[in-house]
Amino acid sequence: MTSPFASAASLLEAKALTREFDDGQVKALRGVDFLMNEGDFVAITGPSGCGKSTLLQLLGALDRPTSGTLLYQGESLPDHPNPAAYRAREVGFIFQAFHLLPTFTASENVQIPMFEIDRSVSERRERAFELLKLVGLENRLDHFPSKLSGGERQRVAIARSLANGPSLLLADEPTGNLDSENAHSVLELLIRLQQEQGRTMVLVTHDPTIAGRAGRILRMKDGQIVSDGKS
Amino acid sequence: MTFFTVVLRGLLRRPLRTGLTLAGISIGIAAVVALVGMSRGFEKGWQVGLKARGTDLVITNKSGSLTPKPFDASVRDRIATLPRIAATCNLLVQVTSVEDSDLMILSAREWGGFSWNNLELISGRMPHDATEEAVVLGQTAAEILRKKIGDPVQIETKELKVVGIVKGGALVEDGSVILSLPLLQEITGSPNQINAIDVRATPGTNEQQLAELAQQIQQLVPEVRAVTVSEHLSHAEGFRLVKAMSWGTSLLAILVGVLGVMNTMLMTVFERTHEICVLLAVGWTRGRIMRMILYESALLGLFGGVAGVAIGAIGVKVLSEAPAIRGLLQPDLSIPLLGLSVVIAMAVGIISGLYPAWRSSRLTPSLALQAG
Repeated sequence: MTSPFASAASLLEAKALTREFDDGQVKALRGVDFLMNEGDFVAITGPSGCGKSTLLQLLGALDRPTSGTLLYQGESLPDHPNPAAYRAREVGFIFQAFHLLPTFTASENVQIPMFEIDRSVSERRERAFELLKLVGLENRLDHFPSKLSGGERQRVAIARSLANGPSLLLADEPTGNLDSENAHSVLELLIRLQQEQGRTMVLVTHDPTIAGRAGRILRMKDGQIVSDGKS
Repeated sequence: MTFFTVVLRGLLRRPLRTGLTLAGISIGIAAVVALVGMSRGFEKGWQVGLKARGTDLVITNKSGSLTPKPFDASVRDRIATLPRIAATCNLLVQVTSVEDSDLMILSAREWGGFSWNNLELISGRMPHDATEEAVVLGQTAAEILRKKIGDPVQIETKELKVVGIVKGGALVEDGSVILSLPLLQEITGSPNQINAIDVRATPGTNEQQLAELAQQIQQLVPEVRAVTVSEHLSHAEGFRLVKAMSWGTSLLAILVGVLGVMNTMLMTVFERTHEICVLLAVGWTRGRIMRMILYESALLGLFGGVAGVAIGAIGVKVLSEAPAIRGLLQPDLSIPLLGLSVVIAMAVGIISGLYPAWRSSRLTPSLALQAG
C-alpha cells in the first residue's frame, strides 16, 4: 500500500515487509507497504499484538525484517553497514516506560547517546542543558530519575531522543504511563518539537484521541495495515 | 560526564556486591603478596647473609636441602689448591629449636675462618678460642631468646655461655646463634663433619670465572655441589617446595578471584540486560558496551589489587614479627612484586570480564522496547 501523501521527499519506504518469529509460527507483520515523507507525523494504531511495536523496531533498526524491502532515504535499512550509527544519528527513541538509566542524572541521561558522536565533554554538557531547557527541565539537571515525576521523566527521555539531532522520532506509547494531565503536556511537547523542527515522527498509540493529532494514521490489524489516511 | 564516569557508575550501582567482590580479589592478591613476599624474602635474606660473610660459592652435598646432610671436612683439602680460591671456611649449619624458640639458625664456623669477619660486636666479646664453651648471638637472636651477656644457653645437651652479641649485616646473621665448629661437632657427636664450605674467590673473579670454578670443584669432588650465592637456595629441595607451594596457593587464590569477578560481572550483565539494550537502542555500539563491561571488571581488579597489596603488606609485616619466624626472614615487599601483584589483579579483572562483555554485546536492542 503506497501512501497517497507522497508529495515531499521520501524518508522511509516499506514494500511487502514481513517479520516472523518462532520459525514462522508467529507472523507479526504480513506484507506491510507504506511511504513516509520527511516532516510527516504518522500515528500507528491498532489492537495489542497487531504488529505496531514490531514495525517500530524495524524502523529503528532494532530488528531485521524476515522479508520485504525497507528503505531509509533510498538505502536498504536492513543492509545498513552500521545500524548503531543509524540509531545514534538518525533516530530518536521515546519509550512508554521512559527507560532512563537510574544511576545517571537527567543531564547525564541526555548525554548518553552523544558518546557515539564527536563531542567534547563540555559540548555534551551544554547540549544536554539546551535540550532540557527545551523540554522545560532546566532546573532538574542534576536530579536522578527516581526524584522526578513521571511526566518529567518522559520529558528527559524526549530530550535524550533529540540528543544527536535525529531526522526520525520513534515514540512507542509515549503517554501510556502518564496521568491525563502529564499525557497532554507531553503530547503537546512532542507535537511542538515535531512541527517546529520539521522532524518525521512515528507514534504508536492505542489512544484514538492521540492518534487524531497526527497528520496521518496507519491502522493495523493482524500484522497488516488496514487503513492509511488523514486523521 | 566522561566514559569513565559511566564505568564508575556501573560499579557503584551495587556497592555491597562491588565491595564483596573487591574483598574477594583483595584476599587473593594479599595471598600472593604474603606468600610470594615471604618466600622471596627468605631467599633474599639467605643470599644477603651469605654475601655479608663475603662468600662467593657455597659447597654442600647433593642432597639439596636448606641444611644439607653432613660430609667429611677433608673435602676442603681436596679443593684448596684450585686457582681463584682465596679462602674457605667450613661450616655446620642447622635450623633447629633453641630453648623457647622453635626455629633458630645454629651456625657453627671454623675457628679463624673468614665467615667470622663480618660479625661486628655490639656488646661482650668473641670466644677466646675454638674450644671455649661459648656462643655469640646475633642481635635478633638475643632478643628472641631474651639473653644477655653471661646468660647460659642450652644447645641440645650442652649448656653454653653467651659471651657476645653481634650484628652481621644481614637478617639471617642477626637471627643466628654462632659458635665455633669443633664445639657443635662435639655436641652433635659428629667430629670432622661439616655441611657447607663457604668459598671466597680471589678479587677480580667475574661471574663466568666463578661458574667455571664451581664446575672445577664438582669435577674434582663429584659428591658435592658447588653453587654461587644466588643459586644456593634454588637447589634446596625444601625451599623449592615452599616456593612452589606459595605460588600454587597464590594461583588458587587468584583463580577464586577470577571466578568471583566473573560471577559479579555476569550478574551485572544479567541485571542490566534492559539497561544495556537501552544503550544499544540509543546508538551505542557493541564495542562500546564491551569496553564498558571490560573497564568495569578491570577497575574491580585494579582497586582489588591495590587493596590486596596493602592488606598483604600489612599482614606479612605482622607475620614476620611472629615468634615462630621472627629473625628468619624479612619479607620481600619490593616495588616489582607489589607492581606485579596489581598487574595480576588487573589481568584477573580483564580476563574475568571477557565472557560477560561478550555476552553483553550479544544482547538484542529490541528488548529495550518491551515494557520494563
